[in-house]
Amino acid sequence: MENKLKSKSNHLPPFFVEHMAGGEQKKGGGEQKKAGGGGKKKEVKKETGLGLSFTKDENFGEWYSEVVVNGEMIEYYDISGCYILRPWAMSIWENIQTFFDAKIKKMKVKNCYFPLFVSPGVLQKEKDHIEGFAPEVAWVTKSGESDLEVPIALRPTSETVMYPYYSKWIRGHRDLPLKLNQWCNVVRWEFSNPTPFIRSREFLWQEGHTAFATKEEADTEVLQILELYRRIYEEFLAIPVTKGRKSELEKFAGGLYTTSVEAFIPNTGRGIQGATSHCLGQNFAKMFEINFENEKGEKSMVWQNSWAYSTRTIGVMVMVHGDNKGLVLPPKVAALQVIVIPVPYKDADTQGIFDACAATVAILSDAGIRAEADLRENYSPGWKYSNWEMKGVPLRIEIGPRDLANNQVRAVRRDNGEKTDISRVFLVEQVKGMLEKIQQNLFDVAKQKRDACIEVVKTWDEFIKALGQKKLILAPWCDEEEVEKDVKARTKGEMGAAKSLCTPFEQPELPEGTKCFASGKPATKWTYWGRSY
Amino acid sequence: MVSSLRLPALTSLFSPSFTRRSTVSLRRRLHLRPPLAAGFSAQSAASSPTETEDRVDSKKSGRVQDRGSTDRVITPRSQDFNAWYLDVIANAELADYGPVRGTMVIRPYGYAMWEAIQDYLNVKFKETGHSNMYFPQFIPYSFIEKEASHVEGFSPELALVTIGGGKELEEKLVVRPTSETIVNHMFTQWIHSYRDLPLMINQWANVTRWEMRTKPFVRTLEFLWQEGHTAHATLEEAEKEALQMIDVYTKFAYEQAAIPVIAGRKSKVETFAGADKTYTIEAMMGDRKALQAGTSHNLGQNFSRAFGTQFTDENGLRQHVWQTSWAISTRFVGGIIMTHGDDAGLMLPPRIAPVQVVIVPIWKKVDEKTGVLDAASSVAETLKNAGLKVKLDDTDQRTPGWKFNFWEMKGVPLRIEIGPRDVSSGSVVISRRDIPGKQGKVFGISMEPSILEAYVKDRLDEIQSSLLQRAISFRDSNIVDVSSYEELKEAISLGKWARGPWSASDADELRIKEETGATIRCFPFEQPQGTKTCLMTGKHADEVAIFAKSY
Repeated sequence: MENKLKSKSNHLPPFFVEHMAGGEQKKGGGEQKKAGGGGKKKEVKKETGLGLSFTKDENFGEWYSEVVVNGEMIEYYDISGCYILRPWAMSIWENIQTFFDAKIKKMKVKNCYFPLFVSPGVLQKEKDHIEGFAPEVAWVTKSGESDLEVPIALRPTSETVMYPYYSKWIRGHRDLPLKLNQWCNVVRWEFSNPTPFIRSREFLWQEGHTAFATKEEADTEVLQILELYRRIYEEFLAIPVTKGRKSELEKFAGGLYTTSVEAFIPNTGRGIQGATSHCLGQNFAKMFEINFENEKGEKSMVWQNSWAYSTRTIGVMVMVHGDNKGLVLPPKVAALQVIVIPVPYKDADTQGIFDACAATVAILSDAGIRAEADLRENYSPGWKYSNWEMKGVPLRIEIGPRDLANNQVRAVRRDNGEKTDISRVFLVEQVKGMLEKIQQNLFDVAKQKRDACIEVVKTWDEFIKALGQKKLILAPWCDEEEVEKDVKARTKGEMGAAKSLCTPFEQPELPEGTKCFASGKPATKWTYWGRSY
Repeated sequence: MVSSLRLPALTSLFSPSFTRRSTVSLRRRLHLRPPLAAGFSAQSAASSPTETEDRVDSKKSGRVQDRGSTDRVITPRSQDFNAWYLDVIANAELADYGPVRGTMVIRPYGYAMWEAIQDYLNVKFKETGHSNMYFPQFIPYSFIEKEASHVEGFSPELALVTIGGGKELEEKLVVRPTSETIVNHMFTQWIHSYRDLPLMINQWANVTRWEMRTKPFVRTLEFLWQEGHTAHATLEEAEKEALQMIDVYTKFAYEQAAIPVIAGRKSKVETFAGADKTYTIEAMMGDRKALQAGTSHNLGQNFSRAFGTQFTDENGLRQHVWQTSWAISTRFVGGIIMTHGDDAGLMLPPRIAPVQVVIVPIWKKVDEKTGVLDAASSVAETLKNAGLKVKLDDTDQRTPGWKFNFWEMKGVPLRIEIGPRDVSSGSVVISRRDIPGKQGKVFGISMEPSILEAYVKDRLDEIQSSLLQRAISFRDSNIVDVSSYEELKEAISLGKWARGPWSASDADELRIKEETGATIRCFPFEQPQGTKTCLMTGKHADEVAIFAKSY
């Protein structure tokens, strides 16, 4: 255990120190070099009002709360569990949304909008379903001064709002498949630990709801959507995820089976459900009488799916990539990919430098790169470096007198601090190449860290030990609900109980005679376990 | 040949006995279907009969159930505008009634119109320097109370959450009716110096106003909108911003929605609760009632004083910020429906239409089918590749005539017909939605991609401008210049808009509302030259106002 932990913590600090030192050095004309050593960061913070008071490794929770605020993603608000999504976060959401919306439209899914308000009768239609959500529902009980005769719920999810209409709209097989999606807010009045993006009482999401004539079609779509979710995480947010199936205990209340993409936060050793794609089977169809006349003229029930991802994606991104200097945004989702900062010296050609900055932004923008110059005169270059590092802009371009003279710019990568002088002749190609490298490197580093946390266990003792080491545990399991309940009961504690995260689609070989880690019964599959968000 | 396939016009299928029924039969019918009954009974318990006057009529939901055997019937627009509106919404599948009284489900065809509005405006907002963000839907009641006239204006319509997660909440929470209060609460924390200004943001969100009388799109308990909020260092900047945004809305209305709105300033009585000035775009609907289609408010310092939103100016002095807010909602979709259209149904401007071109293949004999369908698909492909929104209606369940009527009712601007003879001659027949019958039909347009694409694009442009021109003449022929209260009353009683000089009191304005049902829609930006005397008092007036009944 000691070894493992050490290697992890050894990994970060040198990287961090090197990065900091690099940043300081370059400040040159802007800000005088600070005295080195431990007090450095504190001083920066004092002088600039920037910097973080907590480190990711030592106080992860506090670090996270601070970084989402200082990075201008979130503003806390007077109502606990409700957060303001600032433009910096919203543009990430919009970038992912643009990708996903276009993809599902290609799959002939159509957007629509169902009401926020749910009448209690409809809400209670599906029993298992409502048991899952009832404790979290928020109720409107008054309009103006008067009490409503019947309280009205705010949607925690929209299955029960939508399906009465599916029943009304679907008549014959020609009405199928019916594929609808909506982008909206949902409300879940939870009391456990609100965390920005990760667990909030109101959040934004998309929810897709589809109905098919056959189970095969539904099964196919579940996986198509799950693949889009994987791409959101891996290709856009640069976060490795595992595709798999949820256990009976963890599946969506009222559904047939649930698939998910699961991410992992090494710092806390917790798994996090990234997005879910459910096959609801015919359970809701039965409850809501969603029937159709098939080609033979017989009455049959539809097969349904629902699938969703939420603003939680952004929280996972912050947790996985952020460092002690703030956010680290993958270029593909960053509102701003390149920040251009003039570094004027006293006697230098300030106007020339400013013009070069503006020209650089113009060239990059024309090439489709999201770039801006920070030409504010009331802040030093050093302050600006820290500011944009806090906000996680993937690439910083500095232009000083020497760069001007050499017809070059200096590019500094946010992810690893690497500095490169780029000739202005090859600006676009070089910057594009660097952004791609950053995107790839973020993914590679995240994957390497996650993989280092995976621990294969075969016995209960190994399991408990790995859990204590904050591992992502892969264990052979008998796939019995009672056993999972038992695991939960036996691991209950301050940190929360362990549970199954998913059974990965990619299964390692399971040798004959392998026993379940928890029950000792014959194991049927490999399943990921751990604590989770 | 093609026209002989045409079914009787929808109007001739219409029978007066099918006009709107009371809501009672709808409920009864819905109660037969358990799933919906649950929702509607909850809703009916929460509402009084007068609140549900716009509920969908019985025949349609009945028909939806036996769709396939009956044709869709809509009330002619010329006969009963309101019934036509509701019929069109139901039959064109724009929206359905929600499970809670006064709410609605926006169906894909209606939502696509909203998306067209969003796509255009979102770009314009960003071009003018605004960033999107998202504020929580819940606002502590104490926030709303801070700005006195604001709370007065909104409090009867507030939906309040008092129970969450099974517990009584410590403070009741308002489901946002608009976000000025929460925005100001945050602006107060974000704005420190003049360097933080202007702060310009926008959000796309749902808002709730517990209205008593509702109508799909036009007034619903919950609706979708964008709300822009800005803070500036000076009154002049705020005023400029408020005017800039009403200008963005005006351009959108004219150029995209083909709605010739009249932009102007609201009277004091009609000004937004908490604003110094409200600018508006007013649209004339097909029944000549006015629809307030978008507003932009100069909030002055009302909210910044209430919330203490201050900045340090360049001289180091603390100042209150000057603010604006502006919004357009799903109500605009209702405006598009009610501006264009005829007895046969919707008539959508090409730039808003979810389907711009519908292709209807026509075959009689089995051996013709493949050739016709192949040609139709390739035409569809050509037009799709040209960036057009195309629907190929190749189902064999319906006759071409039925399809013609159906897509006309849905308001699709252009229809392409392809029959066996067209296939052999390599040409298509194209019909315009805005010109009914033979006049709107052109034969022998070549299928050759470049020719067809150019032709279709030209026609769509023509339709776009012809819809606007038509709406302009309709508007202009229904605005009467009046110089006395008598003339105003007469104009209003004829269902027209009255335009006349106005400098009378708020009390006089309210009296007009009481006596005629008309309100001042706006003091238009475009003012006639010359001296003016107030139509009410005979005293000097600076401006003319437009009076009309409104939604």
